[in-house]
Amino acid sequence: MWEIVRESIPQLLSAGFKYTIPLAIISFAIGLVLALLSALTRLSQKSGAFLILKAIVRFYVWLFRSTPLLVQLFIVFFGLPYLKIKGILPHGVRMHPFTAGIITFSLNTGAYASETIRASISAVPVGQWEAASAIGMTRLQTIWRVILPQAFRIALPPLSNSFISLVKDTSLAASITIMEMFEVSQQIAAENYQPLLMYSLVAVIYALFTSVLSYLQGWLEHYFNHEVNAKKVNS
Amino acid sequence: MKLTNINKSFGDNHVLQDISLDFPEHKTTVMVGPSGSGKSTILRSLNLLGMPDSGHYDFDDFHLDFSQKITNKQKLAVRRSTGMVFQDYNLFPNHTVLGNVIEGPTQVLKQPREQAIATAKDLLNKVGLSGYEKHYPNQLSGGQAQRVAIARALAMHPKYILLDEPTSALDPELEQEVLRVLLQLAHEKQSMVVVTHNMIFAQRVANKIIFVEHGQILYDGDPKEFFSPDNPNERIRKFIASMTMKNL
Ligand SMILES: Nc1ncnc2c1ncn2[C@@H]1O[C@H](COP(=O)(O)OP(=O)(O)OP(=O)(O)O)[C@@H](O)[C@H]1O
Ligand SMILES: [Mg+2]
Repeated sequence: MWEIVRESIPQLLSAGFKYTIPLAIISFAIGLVLALLSALTRLSQKSGAFLILKAIVRFYVWLFRSTPLLVQLFIVFFGLPYLKIKGILPHGVRMHPFTAGIITFSLNTGAYASETIRASISAVPVGQWEAASAIGMTRLQTIWRVILPQAFRIALPPLSNSFISLVKDTSLAASITIMEMFEVSQQIAAENYQPLLMYSLVAVIYALFTSVLSYLQGWLEHYFNHEVNAKKVNS
Repeated sequence: MKLTNINKSFGDNHVLQDISLDFPEHKTTVMVGPSGSGKSTILRSLNLLGMPDSGHYDFDDFHLDFSQKITNKQKLAVRRSTGMVFQDYNLFPNHTVLGNVIEGPTQVLKQPREQAIATAKDLLNKVGLSGYEKHYPNQLSGGQAQRVAIARALAMHPKYILLDEPTSALDPELEQEVLRVLLQLAHEKQSMVVVTHNMIFAQRVANKIIFVEHGQILYDGDPKEFFSPDNPNERIRKFIASMTMKNL
Protein backbone atom coordinates (compact mmCIF):
# COMPACT_ATOMS: atom_id res chain seq x y z
CA MET A 1 0.00 0.00 0.00
CA TRP A 2 2.76 2.41 0.89
CA GLU A 3 4.26 1.68 -2.48
CA ILE A 4 1.10 2.97 -4.17
CA VAL A 5 0.96 6.01 -1.93
CA ARG A 6 4.58 6.86 -2.60
CA GLU A 7 4.09 6.51 -6.33
CA SER A 8 0.89 8.51 -6.61
CA ILE A 9 1.74 11.43 -4.32
CA PRO A 10 4.11 13.07 -6.81
CA GLN A 11 1.54 12.70 -9.59
CA LEU A 12 -1.21 14.20 -7.45
CA LEU A 13 0.95 17.05 -6.19
CA SER A 14 2.13 17.83 -9.67
CA ALA A 15 -1.50 18.03 -10.86
CA GLY A 16 -2.22 20.20 -7.83
CA PHE A 17 0.53 22.68 -8.55
CA LYS A 18 -0.03 22.63 -12.28
CA TYR A 19 -3.81 22.93 -12.37
CA THR A 20 -5.63 23.06 -9.04
CA ILE A 21 -3.66 25.95 -7.52
CA PRO A 22 -3.33 28.07 -10.69
CA LEU A 23 -7.02 27.53 -11.41
CA ALA A 24 -7.92 28.72 -7.93
CA ILE A 25 -5.52 31.66 -7.79
CA ILE A 26 -6.18 33.06 -11.26
CA SER A 27 -9.96 32.65 -10.94
CA PHE A 28 -9.95 34.24 -7.52
CA ALA A 29 -7.93 37.23 -8.71
CA ILE A 30 -10.20 37.84 -11.70
CA GLY A 31 -13.24 37.14 -9.53
CA LEU A 32 -12.16 39.77 -7.00
CA VAL A 33 -11.82 42.42 -9.68
CA LEU A 34 -15.26 41.49 -11.06
CA ALA A 35 -16.66 41.53 -7.54
CA LEU A 36 -15.27 44.96 -6.72
CA LEU A 37 -16.58 46.44 -9.96
CA SER A 38 -19.97 44.80 -9.45
CA ALA A 39 -20.23 45.94 -5.85
CA LEU A 40 -19.27 49.52 -6.69
CA THR A 41 -21.72 49.56 -9.60
CA ARG A 42 -24.53 48.36 -7.40
CA LEU A 43 -23.73 50.87 -4.66
CA SER A 44 -23.37 53.78 -7.06
CA GLN A 45 -25.92 56.55 -6.84
CA LYS A 46 -25.59 57.49 -10.50
CA SER A 47 -28.73 57.29 -12.60
CA GLY A 48 -29.52 57.37 -16.31
CA ALA A 49 -27.68 54.85 -18.50
CA PHE A 50 -25.99 53.61 -15.35
CA LEU A 51 -29.25 52.01 -14.25
CA ILE A 52 -28.97 49.59 -17.17
CA LEU A 53 -25.48 48.61 -16.07
CA LYS A 54 -26.80 48.12 -12.54
CA ALA A 55 -29.55 45.84 -13.82
CA ILE A 56 -27.02 43.80 -15.81
CA VAL A 57 -24.80 43.41 -12.76
CA ARG A 58 -27.74 42.41 -10.60
CA PHE A 59 -28.75 39.81 -13.19
CA TYR A 60 -25.21 38.43 -13.35
CA VAL A 61 -24.93 38.06 -9.59
CA TRP A 62 -28.36 36.47 -9.38
CA LEU A 63 -27.61 34.06 -12.25
CA PHE A 64 -24.35 32.74 -10.85
CA ARG A 65 -25.57 32.49 -7.29
CA SER A 66 -28.76 30.68 -8.14
CA THR A 67 -27.37 27.91 -10.37
CA PRO A 68 -24.97 25.06 -9.50
CA LEU A 69 -21.33 25.58 -10.30
CA LEU A 70 -21.14 22.20 -12.00
CA VAL A 71 -23.97 23.14 -14.34
CA GLN A 72 -22.23 26.44 -15.11
CA LEU A 73 -19.05 24.55 -16.02
CA PHE A 74 -21.01 22.25 -18.32
CA ILE A 75 -22.76 25.13 -20.05
CA VAL A 76 -19.52 27.01 -20.69
CA PHE A 77 -17.46 24.01 -21.81
CA PHE A 78 -19.95 21.59 -23.39
CA GLY A 79 -22.79 23.98 -24.16
CA LEU A 80 -21.24 27.07 -25.71
CA PRO A 81 -19.76 25.20 -28.71
CA TYR A 82 -23.38 24.83 -29.82
CA LEU A 83 -24.02 28.57 -29.59
CA LYS A 84 -23.91 29.07 -33.34
CA ILE A 85 -24.97 32.34 -34.85
CA LYS A 86 -24.95 32.58 -38.64
CA GLY A 87 -22.33 35.02 -39.87
CA ILE A 88 -20.98 35.89 -36.43
CA LEU A 89 -20.33 32.57 -34.69
CA PRO A 90 -20.52 29.82 -37.33
CA HIS A 91 -18.61 27.32 -35.16
CA GLY A 92 -19.97 28.17 -31.73
CA VAL A 93 -17.79 29.18 -28.80
CA ARG A 94 -15.08 26.61 -28.28
CA MET A 95 -12.31 26.91 -25.75
CA HIS A 96 -9.59 25.05 -24.00
CA PRO A 97 -10.90 23.30 -20.87
CA PHE A 98 -8.56 25.32 -18.67
CA THR A 99 -9.87 28.57 -20.16
CA ALA A 100 -13.45 27.41 -19.66
CA GLY A 101 -12.57 26.58 -16.06
CA ILE A 102 -11.00 29.97 -15.42
CA ILE A 103 -13.97 31.81 -16.95
CA THR A 104 -16.57 29.87 -15.00
CA PHE A 105 -14.76 29.91 -11.66
CA SER A 106 -14.00 33.63 -12.04
CA LEU A 107 -17.60 34.54 -12.82
CA ASN A 108 -18.87 32.34 -10.01
CA THR A 109 -16.42 33.70 -7.44
CA GLY A 110 -17.11 37.25 -8.66
CA ALA A 111 -20.84 36.87 -8.06
CA TYR A 112 -20.42 35.60 -4.49
CA ALA A 113 -17.61 37.97 -3.58
CA SER A 114 -19.52 40.96 -4.91
CA GLU A 115 -22.18 40.30 -2.29
CA THR A 116 -19.48 40.01 0.38
CA ILE A 117 -17.84 43.26 -0.69
CA ARG A 118 -21.16 45.05 -0.97
CA ALA A 119 -22.11 43.98 2.56
CA SER A 120 -18.68 44.99 3.88
CA ILE A 121 -18.93 48.43 2.32
CA SER A 122 -22.39 48.84 3.84
CA ALA A 123 -20.96 47.82 7.20
CA VAL A 124 -18.60 50.81 7.28
CA PRO A 125 -20.33 53.38 9.53
CA VAL A 126 -22.06 56.21 7.69
CA GLY A 127 -20.04 58.63 9.86
CA GLN A 128 -16.95 57.63 7.86
CA TRP A 129 -18.59 58.76 4.61
CA GLU A 130 -19.62 61.99 6.28
CA ALA A 131 -16.22 62.68 7.81
CA ALA A 132 -14.60 62.20 4.40
CA SER A 133 -17.17 64.41 2.69
CA ALA A 134 -16.73 67.02 5.38
CA ILE A 135 -13.06 67.45 4.53
CA GLY A 136 -14.01 67.89 0.90
CA MET A 137 -13.14 64.49 -0.51
CA THR A 138 -14.85 63.44 -3.72
CA ARG A 139 -16.92 60.28 -3.72
CA LEU A 140 -14.15 58.40 -5.48
CA GLN A 141 -11.51 59.59 -2.98
CA THR A 142 -13.83 58.65 -0.13
CA ILE A 143 -14.29 55.16 -1.52
CA TRP A 144 -10.60 54.55 -2.21
CA ARG A 145 -9.02 56.22 0.79
CA VAL A 146 -11.58 55.72 3.53
CA ILE A 147 -14.27 53.16 2.77
CA LEU A 148 -12.52 50.35 0.88
CA PRO A 149 -9.61 49.98 3.32
CA GLN A 150 -12.12 49.53 6.14
CA ALA A 151 -14.43 47.34 4.07
CA PHE A 152 -11.46 45.16 3.12
CA ARG A 153 -10.79 44.33 6.76
CA ILE A 154 -14.42 43.40 7.23
CA ALA A 155 -14.43 41.36 4.02
CA LEU A 156 -11.19 39.51 4.68
CA PRO A 157 -12.58 36.53 6.66
CA PRO A 158 -15.53 35.82 4.32
CA LEU A 159 -13.32 36.32 1.24
CA SER A 160 -10.75 33.91 2.63
CA ASN A 161 -13.51 31.39 3.12
CA SER A 162 -14.58 31.89 -0.49
CA PHE A 163 -11.04 31.23 -1.62
CA ILE A 164 -10.81 28.05 0.42
CA SER A 165 -14.13 26.88 -1.04
CA LEU A 166 -12.84 27.69 -4.50
CA VAL A 167 -9.76 25.52 -4.01
CA LYS A 168 -12.03 22.60 -3.17
CA ASP A 169 -14.50 23.43 -5.94
CA THR A 170 -11.78 23.21 -8.57
CA SER A 171 -12.24 19.43 -8.21
CA LEU A 172 -15.40 19.94 -10.28
CA ALA A 173 -13.10 20.84 -13.16
CA ALA A 174 -12.38 17.12 -13.45
CA SER A 175 -15.73 16.87 -15.18
CA ILE A 176 -14.61 19.15 -18.01
CA THR A 177 -11.43 17.11 -18.66
CA ILE A 178 -8.98 19.35 -16.81
CA MET A 179 -6.15 17.21 -15.43
CA GLU A 180 -6.38 18.65 -11.93
CA MET A 181 -5.77 16.62 -8.77
CA PHE A 182 -9.12 14.93 -8.47
CA GLU A 183 -9.13 13.90 -12.13
CA VAL A 184 -5.64 12.45 -11.72
CA SER A 185 -6.71 10.54 -8.60
CA GLN A 186 -9.63 9.07 -10.54
CA GLN A 187 -7.31 7.93 -13.31
CA ILE A 188 -4.88 6.31 -10.90
CA ALA A 189 -7.73 4.61 -9.07
CA ALA A 190 -9.00 3.24 -12.36
CA GLU A 191 -5.61 1.65 -12.94
CA ASN A 192 -4.79 0.25 -9.50
CA TYR A 193 -8.33 -0.52 -8.29
CA GLN A 194 -7.71 1.29 -5.00
CA PRO A 195 -10.48 3.91 -5.01
CA LEU A 196 -10.71 4.20 -1.23
CA LEU A 197 -7.01 4.75 -0.90
CA MET A 198 -6.71 7.15 -3.84
CA TYR A 199 -9.69 9.33 -2.93
CA SER A 200 -8.63 9.43 0.70
CA LEU A 201 -5.17 10.44 -0.38
CA VAL A 202 -6.43 13.26 -2.58
CA ALA A 203 -8.73 14.36 0.26
CA VAL A 204 -5.72 14.62 2.55
CA ILE A 205 -3.89 16.75 0.00
CA TYR A 206 -6.89 19.09 -0.36
CA ALA A 207 -7.05 19.33 3.43
CA LEU A 208 -3.35 20.15 3.50
CA PHE A 209 -3.74 22.93 0.91
CA THR A 210 -6.76 24.47 2.63
CA SER A 211 -5.14 24.24 6.07
CA VAL A 212 -2.18 26.21 4.80
CA LEU A 213 -4.64 28.78 3.46
CA SER A 214 -6.50 28.96 6.77
CA TYR A 215 -3.22 29.60 8.47
CA LEU A 216 -2.39 32.37 5.99
CA GLN A 217 -5.86 33.80 6.53
CA GLY A 218 -5.24 34.06 10.25
CA TRP A 219 -1.93 35.73 9.63
CA LEU A 220 -3.42 38.22 7.13
CA GLU A 221 -6.25 39.13 9.46
CA HIS A 222 -3.79 39.73 12.22
CA TYR A 223 -1.57 41.81 9.96
CA PHE A 224 -4.34 44.02 8.59
CA ASN A 225 -6.05 44.51 11.91
CA HIS A 226 -3.03 45.28 14.02
CA GLU A 227 -3.70 49.00 14.14
CA VAL A 228 -7.41 48.60 14.67
CA ASN A 229 -6.89 46.05 17.42
CA ALA A 230 -3.84 47.78 18.87
CA LYS A 231 -3.85 47.71 22.64
CA LYS A 232 -5.12 50.79 24.36
CA VAL A 233 -2.13 52.58 25.79
CA ASN A 234 -3.85 55.22 27.80
CA SER A 235 -7.10 55.87 29.55
CA MET B 1 -22.50 82.91 6.21
CA LYS B 2 -26.22 83.26 5.85
CA LEU B 3 -29.29 81.06 5.46
CA THR B 4 -32.53 82.57 4.17
CA ASN B 5 -36.03 81.03 4.25
CA ILE B 6 -34.78 77.50 4.70
CA ASN B 7 -37.30 74.65 4.64
CA LYS B 8 -36.61 71.01 5.17
CA SER B 9 -38.89 68.02 5.63
CA PHE B 10 -38.23 64.37 6.30
CA GLY B 11 -41.46 62.85 4.99
CA ASP B 12 -44.31 64.61 6.80
CA ASN B 13 -41.92 65.92 9.42
CA HIS B 14 -41.42 69.61 8.66
CA VAL B 15 -38.07 69.88 10.42
CA LEU B 16 -37.01 73.39 9.43
CA GLN B 17 -39.81 75.88 9.00
CA ASP B 18 -38.76 78.83 6.89
CA ILE B 19 -35.81 79.79 9.05
CA SER B 20 -33.36 82.61 8.32
CA LEU B 21 -30.08 82.95 10.17
CA ASP B 22 -26.72 84.54 9.79
CA PHE B 23 -23.46 83.40 11.28
CA PRO B 24 -21.04 86.29 11.71
CA GLU B 25 -17.42 85.88 10.72
CA HIS B 26 -14.71 85.64 13.40
CA LYS B 27 -17.39 85.02 15.99
CA THR B 28 -18.71 82.00 17.81
CA THR B 29 -22.37 81.30 17.22
CA VAL B 30 -23.88 78.81 19.62
CA MET B 31 -27.04 76.89 18.77
CA VAL B 32 -29.08 75.41 21.58
CA GLY B 33 -32.47 73.82 21.82
CA PRO B 34 -34.23 70.63 22.85
CA SER B 35 -33.47 67.29 21.27
CA GLY B 36 -34.99 66.88 17.83
CA SER B 37 -35.51 70.61 17.35
CA GLY B 38 -33.46 70.74 14.13
CA LYS B 39 -30.01 71.98 15.26
CA SER B 40 -28.05 69.26 13.49
CA THR B 41 -30.16 69.70 10.40
CA ILE B 42 -29.26 73.40 10.30
CA LEU B 43 -25.58 72.68 10.86
CA ARG B 44 -25.53 70.04 8.15
CA SER B 45 -27.10 72.49 5.73
CA LEU B 46 -24.10 74.75 6.21
CA ASN B 47 -21.66 72.21 4.75
CA LEU B 48 -24.25 70.62 2.46
CA LEU B 49 -24.07 67.23 4.17
CA GLY B 50 -27.83 67.63 4.31
CA MET B 51 -29.75 69.46 1.61
CA PRO B 52 -32.69 71.69 2.52
CA ASP B 53 -35.70 71.54 0.21
CA SER B 54 -35.80 75.27 -0.40
CA GLY B 55 -34.20 78.52 0.63
CA HIS B 56 -30.98 80.37 -0.09
CA TYR B 57 -27.48 80.04 1.25
CA ASP B 58 -24.89 82.77 0.90
CA PHE B 59 -21.38 82.01 1.96
CA ASP B 60 -18.39 83.84 0.60
CA ASP B 61 -18.75 83.81 -3.17
CA PHE B 62 -21.35 81.07 -3.11
CA HIS B 63 -24.98 81.96 -3.63
CA LEU B 64 -26.91 78.74 -3.58
CA ASP B 65 -30.59 78.28 -4.20
CA PHE B 66 -31.68 75.00 -2.61
CA SER B 67 -34.69 74.69 -4.89
CA GLN B 68 -32.23 74.23 -7.78
CA LYS B 69 -29.86 71.31 -8.08
CA ILE B 70 -26.60 71.91 -6.23
CA THR B 71 -23.71 70.65 -8.35
CA ASN B 72 -21.03 68.36 -6.99
CA LYS B 73 -18.48 71.07 -7.62
CA GLN B 74 -20.39 73.52 -5.44
CA LYS B 75 -20.73 70.92 -2.70
CA LEU B 76 -17.01 70.19 -2.68
CA ALA B 77 -16.11 73.88 -2.69
CA VAL B 78 -18.40 74.66 0.25
CA ARG B 79 -17.12 71.64 2.19
CA ARG B 80 -13.52 72.70 1.62
CA SER B 81 -14.30 76.06 3.21
CA THR B 82 -16.03 74.55 6.24
CA GLY B 83 -14.72 72.10 8.79
CA MET B 84 -17.00 69.75 10.67
CA VAL B 85 -16.55 68.15 14.05
CA PHE B 86 -18.97 65.35 14.88
CA GLN B 87 -20.32 64.17 18.19
CA ASP B 88 -18.67 60.76 17.81
CA TYR B 89 -15.41 62.06 16.26
CA ASN B 90 -15.55 59.88 13.12
CA LEU B 91 -11.78 59.64 12.91
CA PHE B 92 -10.47 57.34 10.18
CA PRO B 93 -9.56 54.18 12.15
CA ASN B 94 -7.14 52.94 9.49
CA HIS B 95 -4.97 56.06 9.72
CA THR B 96 -2.74 57.26 12.53
CA VAL B 97 -3.45 60.50 14.32
CA LEU B 98 -1.06 62.27 11.97
CA GLY B 99 -2.58 60.45 8.98
CA ASN B 100 -6.02 61.68 9.98
CA VAL B 101 -4.88 65.29 10.15
CA ILE B 102 -2.94 65.31 6.86
CA GLU B 103 -5.54 63.36 4.87
CA GLY B 104 -7.49 66.45 3.79
CA PRO B 105 -4.49 68.69 3.08
CA THR B 106 -2.67 66.05 1.01
CA GLN B 107 -5.63 64.45 -0.77
CA VAL B 108 -7.98 67.38 -1.17
CA LEU B 109 -5.75 70.46 -1.14
CA LYS B 110 -2.88 68.54 -2.79
CA GLN B 111 -0.37 70.06 -0.40
CA PRO B 112 3.12 68.53 -0.40
CA ARG B 113 3.35 65.90 2.34
CA GLU B 114 6.13 67.63 4.27
CA GLN B 115 4.18 70.87 4.43
CA ALA B 116 1.03 69.04 5.53
CA ILE B 117 2.97 67.18 8.21
CA ALA B 118 4.53 70.39 9.53
CA THR B 119 1.12 72.06 9.78
CA ALA B 120 -0.39 68.94 11.33
CA LYS B 121 2.29 68.83 14.01
CA ASP B 122 1.63 72.47 14.89
CA LEU B 123 -2.08 71.78 15.11
CA LEU B 124 -1.61 68.68 17.25
CA ASN B 125 0.58 70.73 19.53
CA LYS B 126 -2.14 73.35 19.70
CA VAL B 127 -4.77 70.82 20.79
CA GLY B 128 -2.33 69.39 23.33
CA LEU B 129 -1.52 66.15 21.52
CA SER B 130 2.13 66.48 20.60
CA GLY B 131 3.70 63.04 20.68
CA TYR B 132 0.51 61.24 19.68
CA GLU B 133 1.23 61.39 15.93
CA LYS B 134 1.76 57.65 15.58
CA HIS B 135 -1.16 56.53 17.71
CA TYR B 136 -4.21 55.01 16.13
CA PRO B 137 -7.66 56.43 16.95
CA ASN B 138 -8.69 53.45 19.08
CA GLN B 139 -5.70 54.08 21.32
CA LEU B 140 -7.09 57.48 22.29
CA SER B 141 -9.53 58.56 24.96
CA GLY B 142 -12.69 60.27 23.74
CA GLY B 143 -11.33 63.68 24.65
CA GLN B 144 -8.11 63.04 22.74
CA ALA B 145 -10.00 61.69 19.74
CA GLN B 146 -12.20 64.75 19.62
CA ARG B 147 -9.17 67.03 19.78
CA VAL B 148 -7.66 65.13 16.84
CA ALA B 149 -10.95 65.67 15.01
CA ILE B 150 -10.67 69.39 15.71
CA ALA B 151 -7.09 69.41 14.40
CA ARG B 152 -8.25 67.50 11.32
CA ALA B 153 -10.89 70.16 10.66
CA LEU B 154 -8.44 73.03 11.27
CA ALA B 155 -5.87 71.51 8.90
CA MET B 156 -8.08 72.46 5.96
CA HIS B 157 -7.92 76.13 7.07
CA PRO B 158 -11.67 76.38 6.77
CA LYS B 159 -13.43 79.73 6.99
CA TYR B 160 -15.90 78.25 9.46
CA ILE B 161 -15.78 75.31 11.81
CA LEU B 162 -19.06 73.57 12.52
CA LEU B 163 -19.27 71.52 15.70
CA ASP B 164 -22.24 69.27 16.44
CA GLU B 165 -22.34 68.50 20.15
CA PRO B 166 -18.60 67.97 20.23
CA THR B 167 -18.55 66.98 23.90
CA SER B 168 -21.81 65.09 24.33
CA ALA B 169 -20.09 61.72 24.17
CA LEU B 170 -17.48 62.68 26.78
CA ASP B 171 -17.13 62.35 30.52
CA PRO B 172 -17.00 65.69 32.33
CA GLU B 173 -13.19 65.69 32.83
CA LEU B 174 -12.58 64.83 29.20
CA GLU B 175 -15.15 67.41 28.17
CA GLN B 176 -13.10 70.14 29.78
CA GLU B 177 -9.98 69.44 27.72
CA VAL B 178 -12.02 69.77 24.52
CA LEU B 179 -13.81 72.90 25.70
CA ARG B 180 -10.46 74.52 26.54
CA VAL B 181 -9.38 74.04 22.93
CA LEU B 182 -12.61 75.56 21.67
CA LEU B 183 -12.30 78.56 23.99
CA GLN B 184 -8.79 79.08 22.65
CA LEU B 185 -10.07 78.98 19.06
CA ALA B 186 -12.82 81.45 19.93
CA HIS B 187 -10.19 83.68 21.46
CA GLU B 188 -8.24 83.54 18.18
CA LYS B 189 -11.35 84.70 16.33
CA GLN B 190 -11.87 81.46 14.47
CA SER B 191 -15.39 81.59 12.98
CA MET B 192 -17.40 78.80 14.61
CA VAL B 193 -20.90 77.45 14.83
CA VAL B 194 -21.33 75.19 17.86
CA VAL B 195 -24.30 73.08 18.86
CA THR B 196 -24.07 72.25 22.54
CA HIS B 197 -26.13 71.24 25.54
CA ASN B 198 -23.56 72.70 27.93
CA MET B 199 -25.06 76.01 29.02
CA ILE B 200 -22.04 77.08 31.05
CA PHE B 201 -19.81 76.66 28.03
CA ALA B 202 -22.40 78.32 25.78
CA GLN B 203 -22.53 81.34 28.05
CA ARG B 204 -18.76 81.57 28.14
CA VAL B 205 -17.99 81.18 24.48
CA ALA B 206 -20.97 82.58 22.59
CA ASN B 207 -20.89 85.88 20.74
CA LYS B 208 -24.33 85.05 19.49
CA ILE B 209 -26.99 82.59 20.60
CA ILE B 210 -29.61 80.84 18.54
CA PHE B 211 -32.40 78.94 20.24
CA VAL B 212 -34.17 76.42 18.06
CA GLU B 213 -37.39 74.66 18.88
CA HIS B 214 -39.66 72.61 16.58
CA GLY B 215 -37.71 73.80 13.58
CA GLN B 216 -38.24 77.46 14.37
CA ILE B 217 -35.90 80.11 15.69
CA LEU B 218 -37.20 81.34 19.03
CA TYR B 219 -34.19 83.47 19.83
CA ASP B 220 -31.38 84.87 17.74
CA GLY B 221 -29.08 87.44 19.29
CA ASP B 222 -27.15 88.60 22.30
CA PRO B 223 -26.10 85.87 24.77
CA LYS B 224 -26.30 88.22 27.78
CA GLU B 225 -29.97 88.84 27.29
CA PHE B 226 -30.55 85.18 26.50
CA PHE B 227 -29.03 83.92 29.73
CA SER B 228 -30.38 86.76 31.84
CA PRO B 229 -32.81 85.67 34.56
CA ASP B 230 -35.04 88.48 33.28
CA ASN B 231 -35.36 86.97 29.83
CA PRO B 232 -39.00 87.70 29.04
CA ASN B 233 -39.42 84.39 27.23
CA GLU B 234 -40.51 81.89 29.83
CA ARG B 235 -39.89 78.91 27.55
CA ILE B 236 -36.24 79.92 27.23
CA ARG B 237 -35.84 80.49 30.97
CA LYS B 238 -37.23 77.02 31.61
CA PHE B 239 -34.99 75.46 28.98
CA ILE B 240 -31.87 77.05 30.45
CA ALA B 241 -32.86 76.01 33.94
CA SER B 242 -33.46 72.41 32.91
CA MET B 243 -30.20 72.21 30.95
CA THR B 244 -28.20 73.76 33.77
CA MET B 245 -29.66 71.24 36.19
CA LYS B 246 -28.52 68.47 33.86
CA ASN B 247 -24.99 69.84 33.78
CA LEU B 248 -24.66 69.95 37.55
N1 LIG C 1 -32.08 61.39 8.21
C1 LIG C 1 -33.25 61.66 8.81
N2 LIG C 1 -34.37 61.02 8.43
C2 LIG C 1 -35.56 61.27 9.01
N3 LIG C 1 -35.74 62.17 9.98
C3 LIG C 1 -34.67 62.85 10.41
C4 LIG C 1 -33.37 62.63 9.85
N4 LIG C 1 -32.49 63.44 10.47
C5 LIG C 1 -33.21 64.13 11.37
N5 LIG C 1 -34.51 63.78 11.34
C6 LIG C 1 -35.58 64.37 12.15
O1 LIG C 1 -35.46 65.75 12.07
C7 LIG C 1 -35.74 66.36 13.32
C8 LIG C 1 -34.58 67.25 13.70
O2 LIG C 1 -33.44 66.46 13.88
P1 LIG C 1 -32.03 67.07 14.29
O3 LIG C 1 -31.09 65.95 14.27
O4 LIG C 1 -31.75 68.24 13.44
O5 LIG C 1 -32.33 67.54 15.76
P2 LIG C 1 -31.28 68.09 16.84
O6 LIG C 1 -31.81 69.41 17.26
O7 LIG C 1 -29.92 68.04 16.30
O8 LIG C 1 -31.48 67.05 18.01
P3 LIG C 1 -30.37 66.44 19.02
O9 LIG C 1 -30.17 67.45 20.10
O10 LIG C 1 -31.05 65.22 19.55
O11 LIG C 1 -29.16 66.15 18.24
C9 LIG C 1 -35.98 65.23 14.30
O12 LIG C 1 -37.39 65.09 14.44
C10 LIG C 1 -35.41 64.02 13.62
O13 LIG C 1 -36.13 62.88 13.97
MG1 LIG D 1 -28.22 66.86 16.73
